[in-house]
Amino acid sequence: MSDKPTLWQTLLSVLSSFFGVQSEHNRERDFRNGRPVHFILIGLLMAALFVISIILLVRWALILGGA
Amino acid sequence: MVRTIITTIGSGLGLTLYSATAAAAWEVNLTPGVTDVSRSVFDLHMTIFWICVAIALVVFGVMFWSIFHHRKSRGAKAHNFHENTLVEVIWTIIPLAILVAMAVPATATLVQMYDSSEAELDIQVTGYQWKWRYDYLDHDLNFFSNLSTPREQITNEADKQEHYLLEVDRHLVVPVATKIRFLLTSNDVIHSWWVPALAVKKDAIPGFINEAWTVIDEPGIYRGQCAELCGKDHGFMPVVIEAVSQDDFQQWLADARAEKQSAAAAAERTWTLDELMQQGEQVYLRACAACHLPNGEGVPGAFPALKGSPIALGDVAGHIDIVLNGKSGTAMQAFRDQLSATELAAVITYERNAWGNSLGEAVSPVQIARLLEPSTGEAEQ
Ligand code: HEC
Ligand SMILES: [Cu+2]
Repeated sequence: MSDKPTLWQTLLSVLSSFFGVQSEHNRERDFRNGRPVHFILIGLLMAALFVISIILLVRWALILGGA
Repeated sequence: MVRTIITTIGSGLGLTLYSATAAAAWEVNLTPGVTDVSRSVFDLHMTIFWICVAIALVVFGVMFWSIFHHRKSRGAKAHNFHENTLVEVIWTIIPLAILVAMAVPATATLVQMYDSSEAELDIQVTGYQWKWRYDYLDHDLNFFSNLSTPREQITNEADKQEHYLLEVDRHLVVPVATKIRFLLTSNDVIHSWWVPALAVKKDAIPGFINEAWTVIDEPGIYRGQCAELCGKDHGFMPVVIEAVSQDDFQQWLADARAEKQSAAAAAERTWTLDELMQQGEQVYLRACAACHLPNGEGVPGAFPALKGSPIALGDVAGHIDIVLNGKSGTAMQAFRDQLSATELAAVITYERNAWGNSLGEAVSPVQIARLLEPSTGEAEQ
């Protein structure tokens, strides 16, 4: 029962929550063996990355648009 | 079965194509407009419209086909399952891909719309309750543009003309083939300056300056409206743009400046009470009657009656003061920048001598002109 989610699995779970779809199997694993603080920390990190990528995307679009 | 689907989709498409042509005839679609930007907005609108049509055909096609094919009389049995990650992923990815695909051309158009750099002509547009003021910033020219539809048409006492509620006393005259930047703001509440043919619709917000721009290809008259509910006469403050050739525009500028000078000269001569009353009535109906009503009786609780008003019948200095400087915090605006000295003198004279008010004295344009001299714009917020 020490089927703890690895760092990689935690990351994938966070990304699935961003996407909005997660399999029941992974959800059960996360809720049974995971620690909330791991998900929160990786979640915050991913949210920051998301914002940065949006900013970069907008910059890039503006350069392409010639503004 | 495949053939059924194809005929279904085919006839559906035929129907929508037909209604699109019919729609053009009824003019219920967006206008393609007369500028580059308005045409790309129109194209974007049509692209997204057809994407929506295609999605609807696919989704409803599958749905109706499933309902028909798996009907109870054929012994269809529901397949009960709780979740399916693969299906959920697919139905999330497809809309995401469609949205991103639509965002690409939309972003291109937005970038174009927001690029107001390198304009050749700057015009400040200021919303007032309920009229627009236009300032040609580099040409020392400004004026108000008021609704010119006769009151009898509004109250159904006369037949309505073609441009009912879309006509003004002074057009916003602009040159064609020139990049014009509009700087939008407001003197009182939030308005929105909207001209469909230019695909320009921008909020005019007190204390803020918004930017919009246009390059008009074709000479012509383009009409629009205030698009942000702004009080009692929100529907009575249209926008009328007249696009003319560059030469005509220069000529118009010269004429407008000359007119301003002759108005200033007119203030210098002596006006009789009758002349002032005549002009005063016109000014009153144009600039004051929306609130104080044509009969001077006002709207109890909102706009005071001027008929029998202690101010209109009292000390002339107090009367002049409220008309020139307004009363801050109320709908009573400062008219010192909105009307010429002659118009101000005329309207004040009119108020003191109309509807049974009968002081019999005239306020002279020279007197007002002297009051206007020392400070300009002091009463503006
Ligand atoms: C947008 C509505 C509006 C318009 C247009 C308007 N007024 Fe007023 N006016 C008011 C309001 C509201 C007051 C009351 C202010 C207050 O609370 O004292 C007022 C007050 C007055 C008063 C003082 C009356 C009294 O007995 O207190 C005079 C005089 C007056 N207006 C003249 C004019 C003239 C002249 C014009 C046109 C050039 C005009 N107003 C246009 C809204 C308007
Ligand atoms: Cu308005």
